[in-house]
Amino acid sequence: MKKKLHFSIRSRHLLAVMVILCIGLMLLSFSSEKAAKPLRSGAGVVVIPFQKGVNRIGTWFSEQFAGFQSVKALSEENAELRAQVDDLTAKNSELAQMQGELNRLEALYKLDQEYPEYNKVAAEVISKDPGNWYSTFVINKGSEDGIKKDMNVLAQGGLIGIVTETGGHWATVRAIIDDTSAISAMASITSETCIVEGSLTSMNNGKIRFQGLRDPDGQVVEGASIVTSNISENYVSGLLIGYVSDISLDSNNLTKSGTLIPAADFRALREVLIITDLKQTRENED
Amino acid sequence: MKRKLILAALIFLCFILQTTLFKMSSFLIVSPNLLLIISCAIGFMQGKKEGIMAGFFAGIITDLTYGRLFGRYALIYLLIGWFCGRYANIYFDEDLKVPLALISGSDLVFNLYVYLTGFLFRGRLDIGFYLKNIMLPEMIWTFLVGIVLYRILYVINHDLVEKEKEGRQSLWIRE
Repeated sequence: MKKKLHFSIRSRHLLAVMVILCIGLMLLSFSSEKAAKPLRSGAGVVVIPFQKGVNRIGTWFSEQFAGFQSVKALSEENAELRAQVDDLTAKNSELAQMQGELNRLEALYKLDQEYPEYNKVAAEVISKDPGNWYSTFVINKGSEDGIKKDMNVLAQGGLIGIVTETGGHWATVRAIIDDTSAISAMASITSETCIVEGSLTSMNNGKIRFQGLRDPDGQVVEGASIVTSNISENYVSGLLIGYVSDISLDSNNLTKSGTLIPAADFRALREVLIITDLKQTRENED
Repeated sequence: MKRKLILAALIFLCFILQTTLFKMSSFLIVSPNLLLIISCAIGFMQGKKEGIMAGFFAGIITDLTYGRLFGRYALIYLLIGWFCGRYANIYFDEDLKVPLALISGSDLVFNLYVYLTGFLFRGRLDIGFYLKNIMLPEMIWTFLVGIVLYRILYVINHDLVEKEKEGRQSLWIRE
């Protein structure tokens, strides 16, 4: 072993110092949310460009791969025309890629038309939570693009989440299927309110839970749509969350609860729309 | 110093991969924990102090970008790095059993920690469900990816250590 000439710390002491540091950081960020804000913004500046780059490469690969599968089928059929097929498929995959993009953007445009009363900005998803416990993701628009905390986020089909944090050109979005998400919602037929909660247990079947729905006349049946309620603090009203999948009376005989299938597609999450109108509340009223 | 910078760059690369390529498909599919593999491997190959620092660095990037409570991931990663570092004295060339056992075990501990700190106190009591649907799949994934990644890290570490030894033996470029 090399004899170290400079000051050397024992691993036991290093462990103690670092553990105390971590706990200190936790207490600090627990007591005030703002304490870690500058650090986080700094980290965003460093990390985001890399994630954007790698993500673009990944997208390119997965799209190339999708094109490749169609090449395979074609070349088996037309072995003698392979040369021609190769030439055509190169163009074909390029077109398929463009077509896929067109379809996605068209769907996004349609979504934009569905809620004409709100102003929206489109953004791309660039990275997702590294663990398997939370459903949060980062998009490529941030405070400098006019994105603010608590703005609602839509994706193909309906509501997908809410902005929880913003940086220069990035923002963190918590998905509605996240275990810590809870939304004040209502059944669009009766306007009776309920709470829609994300949960890991039901997310496994692609569903989210709702509870506390008053429905004395039994009007809310399977397939009924649930939208964000007008009394929600953070969500603007009338955004489609999903459709009731099953519903049952609670043991209190007053309210009903059950699960709903989210309208937004969480599997192929690529482009999202952010509603730039914040819910008007007493605090943010100018 | 150079070795530390290279290892830091590797951790950073793992983080980038873990949040992008490995997450391309969907939220619903469990993905492996590369940061855990690398913290474990560095601790096991280089010792407690390096394990602590590697774990702390891996955790702090997660905290900075995706953490909800600052320092939460840093704490568990550095403890894992330190724990794996305790076994550094039985680090032998080419041995895969011990490091992979450490990686799999640490992954389970890591997920239990996330469950305890983030889910249990909110009344999510169904630990069996989480064990079956998140912890065990992630452990298997991490184990499988660990076989490959540990090999790569082993080669890199070997090269770095050899270079450092050479440097030390030479009179002219002594540190």
